[in-house]
Amino acid sequence: MASTGQPWLMRIVYLLICLVLLFVQLLPLDTVPKVWAAPELVVVVTFAWVLRRPEYAPPFLIAMIFLLADLLVQRPPGLWAALVLLGSETLRNRAPGLRDLTFPVEWLTVTTTLIVMTLGYRIILGVTVVDQAPLGLSLIQLVMTLIAYPVVVLITQTVFGVRKISPGDVEAGRQRI
Amino acid sequence: MAKDRGHTGEFTGPLKRLLFGVLVLCLLGLFLLWRIDSPRVERFRAQVTDRVVPSFDWAMGPVTGTVNILRDFQSYTRIYQQNQELRRELQQMKAWKEAALQLEQENARLLDLNNVQLDPRLTYVTGVVLADSGSPFRQSVLLNVGGRDGIVDGWAAMDGLGLVGRISGVGNKTARVILLTDTSSRVPVTVQPSGQHALLIGDNTAAPVIDFIEDADQIRPGDRVMSSGDGGVFPAGLLVGQVAEDPGGRMRVRLAADYERLKFLRVLRDYGNDGIADPGNLIAPRVLTDPTETPETADGAAAEGGNG
Repeated sequence: MASTGQPWLMRIVYLLICLVLLFVQLLPLDTVPKVWAAPELVVVVTFAWVLRRPEYAPPFLIAMIFLLADLLVQRPPGLWAALVLLGSETLRNRAPGLRDLTFPVEWLTVTTTLIVMTLGYRIILGVTVVDQAPLGLSLIQLVMTLIAYPVVVLITQTVFGVRKISPGDVEAGRQRI
Repeated sequence: MAKDRGHTGEFTGPLKRLLFGVLVLCLLGLFLLWRIDSPRVERFRAQVTDRVVPSFDWAMGPVTGTVNILRDFQSYTRIYQQNQELRRELQQMKAWKEAALQLEQENARLLDLNNVQLDPRLTYVTGVVLADSGSPFRQSVLLNVGGRDGIVDGWAAMDGLGLVGRISGVGNKTARVILLTDTSSRVPVTVQPSGQHALLIGDNTAAPVIDFIEDADQIRPGDRVMSSGDGGVFPAGLLVGQVAEDPGGRMRVRLAADYERLKFLRVLRDYGNDGIADPGNLIAPRVLTDPTETPETADGAAAEGGNG
């Protein structure tokens, strides 16, 4: 098992996916304000990867990607990045337990994590008296993000081959995960 | 090897946790710093944007172009209908063009008669839209002109017809334009023909609200809205749009600029108006100003002549 070479390769793949998503977000296609909000795909991809192969999405990389995203898309710098980092770490710790359970359980976990993150984000912004996005719009975004999760998971598994570690892998490679 | 991995995992556990904590603290610290000293961090943001986005430029142009072509392709399906509409509009436009030409000639004649000096310094720099805000909550675009082209914070940006927004955040190669639709946009306007002063307030919808009107009764849907130049931020007299009333009875502005297709934007150079510094002196005969110096003949005579 190419345990030394492959993580780096897959980390680069993860970084590239996030950069491409960010790039698509920045394309000047819609300059008219919309009544709905697109899902936040970078977060979804991050969670999907963290739950499947935590070693492909190390915390430092996540922090850098989301800090860059914060700076580029005009969010308050650092806050959302810190929350995503905390959320992904929570999921990372729960990943071994979730490995044997079904997908709906995983989806539910991601849902609660995202809701807590969004709530925390809005509360912190409220406490520090920063201008906030309209509540309706961020709720729409939250729902869209959650709907997008299964699709992203499907793509992650089929196209990029990032799957949960199966017993076969464990026997081949490691004792303890 | 498996054993080795397990060991390192246990060994680096606390260290990893420590590093993770430091990382989170750094990010939160950056947020607090931004909250306390926003301009400095915003400058940093402008620099990062300046470095990152132009390097995407080679890909952004083609991709945006392709997507737009695909979108246009969809509209080919109703091409006949569009053609008819365009013909009808063209007919109307010809009438307007005729009227405009006549008015232009008349205006030129009148200006010439009055010997009017138009402000010659209202020139512009044209930039291409590189990127949008990337977030559904903020309405802004990034232009490919910046500090090296002499762009300054606060200048107005227009498309060919109407006001689009104002510059906020200038990097060396890029500048960000906060659109009129952004929630943080406030622009002083006048509503013609009644001449009412008001404020145009962006609220993340396609038609910003018009508020703080002196006398709301004098404003009717269809009135023209121009920038007023109050506060010295914008040059006066830029076309903004037309008043429209929404179902809730609030006055909104249907913007003249084509927000569907922001591709090239003009940034108007505006060096502000020269202030009038001295309060204005009393104009009085020379004799009254210095009554002690009486017999200086030649000088006094010249001054008298000048006054008369």
